[in-house]
Amino acid sequence: MAELPSTFWSGWVAVVTLASLIGVFWLIYSVYFAKGGKAADEPSPVWDGNLQEGEHPAPLWWFWLIFASLVISVIYLMLYPGLGAFGGALNWSQGGEVDRRLNRYQTEFGPTRRLVAQAQLATLQEDARLMASAQRIYDRNCAVCHGYDAAGQADLFPSLTDAAWQWGGEAAQIEQSIRHGRLAVMVGWEAALGEQAIDQLTDYTLTLRDGTAQDHPGETAYLQYCAACHGPDGSGNPLLGAPDLTDDASLYGQSPAAIRHSIGQGRNGEMPAFGERLDDTQVRLLVAWLTRPDAQQ
Amino acid sequence: MNAVDLHRKLERNSGLLIFGILLVSAIGGLVQVLPSVLQDDLVTPGPSTAPYGPVELTGRDLYIREGCSTCHSQQVRPLLAEVKRYGPYSKAGESAYDRPFLWGSKRTGPDLHRIGGKYTDLWQRMHLLDPRSLVPDSIMPGYPWLAERAADADGSIQSKMRALRRLGHPYTDADIEAAPAALAGLREVDALVAYLQALRAPDREASP
Repeated sequence: MAELPSTFWSGWVAVVTLASLIGVFWLIYSVYFAKGGKAADEPSPVWDGNLQEGEHPAPLWWFWLIFASLVISVIYLMLYPGLGAFGGALNWSQGGEVDRRLNRYQTEFGPTRRLVAQAQLATLQEDARLMASAQRIYDRNCAVCHGYDAAGQADLFPSLTDAAWQWGGEAAQIEQSIRHGRLAVMVGWEAALGEQAIDQLTDYTLTLRDGTAQDHPGETAYLQYCAACHGPDGSGNPLLGAPDLTDDASLYGQSPAAIRHSIGQGRNGEMPAFGERLDDTQVRLLVAWLTRPDAQQ
Repeated sequence: MNAVDLHRKLERNSGLLIFGILLVSAIGGLVQVLPSVLQDDLVTPGPSTAPYGPVELTGRDLYIREGCSTCHSQQVRPLLAEVKRYGPYSKAGESAYDRPFLWGSKRTGPDLHRIGGKYTDLWQRMHLLDPRSLVPDSIMPGYPWLAERAADADGSIQSKMRALRRLGHPYTDADIEAAPAALAGLREVDALVAYLQALRAPDREASP
């Protein structure tokens, strides 16, 4: 479709723009100052006894107003981009303006932000204003899934206020989760093992919480299929995101039915990566906020 | 000749007057619109801008049908606050395969041009069907019917792709052949989520 090169269009814009400016100048100049504007052979009609065309000239300040606009337009086109591809004497551009402001932002706030990014978590946690900032970052990025109270939502998005951290609750592990996201894969076993085995496994899994099971019929299957990730005692493995089965936190619901569904049909949890959306300072603040001493309810 | 004589001539010759009016009215369009439509670098896709696949294309049409662009823009403006909040500002080439473009002009909800990957598919799905189940204070309407209808209910995906190919989208015969299979079994909400997840900054990886 575009056979003409952009240099043509640049010239086109410049020529039409300049021609318009000259045309407007000619128009106002000749209306106000050129001779011979009145054709003598065509007398104007007369209204109200003495009112004729050309009775009074248009006010002169109109001329100066339009003339000034023309001068300002020309100055603008010399300084800023507008005349085709000519970038203007100031070399201004929208992208350049954003970069300039980003640079100024870095100069003004960069050192402080670097301090925050490298600070001890305890130091950050003591500063109420920094924690308020951290909560705003949380509200804008995390809250729609994990809830504004960080207590998790919908039996799908984990609570960040309890002691259970599927991928580990250490600061470094939380930072890893935020930056790179997490993909949890729990396969479904019902097709392979059959309904009865799933029932037994569900029952056995529930007994792991109090450790009361003795010679449970589900134990063999558990050790065979589940222990590799969740551990023989059910204590989980944060490296794999395999949750602890011995505590009473259960991401997808506490009921036997929900746990049976997890075992039978599997689950696929996903935490998106925020490494490109949040900078080091924001991540550090979030980690500090999430691990603050009064975070656990 | 001066302007008063010219005016007299135009005033007495309506054909010439019509021509003059059209000429003057056209100047703005000739300078502002025509080069934008025909200039190479404004219609050339960015380095990582690819045409939408059949699922994303269907989702895009649903985005239009449900009027999402009434409340959501798809243009991150080149302003510090927007770049900080949403990511890299939008460039012309990114819209090369958007017919029509969906830049929008109003933000009742947030800008969506960089929304892809921020939330999971599951979250997007639940949120579209019932926003307040996840964001209690949300004023976004729910779109529960998206879960009820098949994504390609009217079977029009192939003719859509052929029409876009005529406009220059590089779909191959094999792409068009495979399109109905890609949509098979999907609900409308799945297609819309796939489209939203495809709205990414150009330097980020495209959705799998």
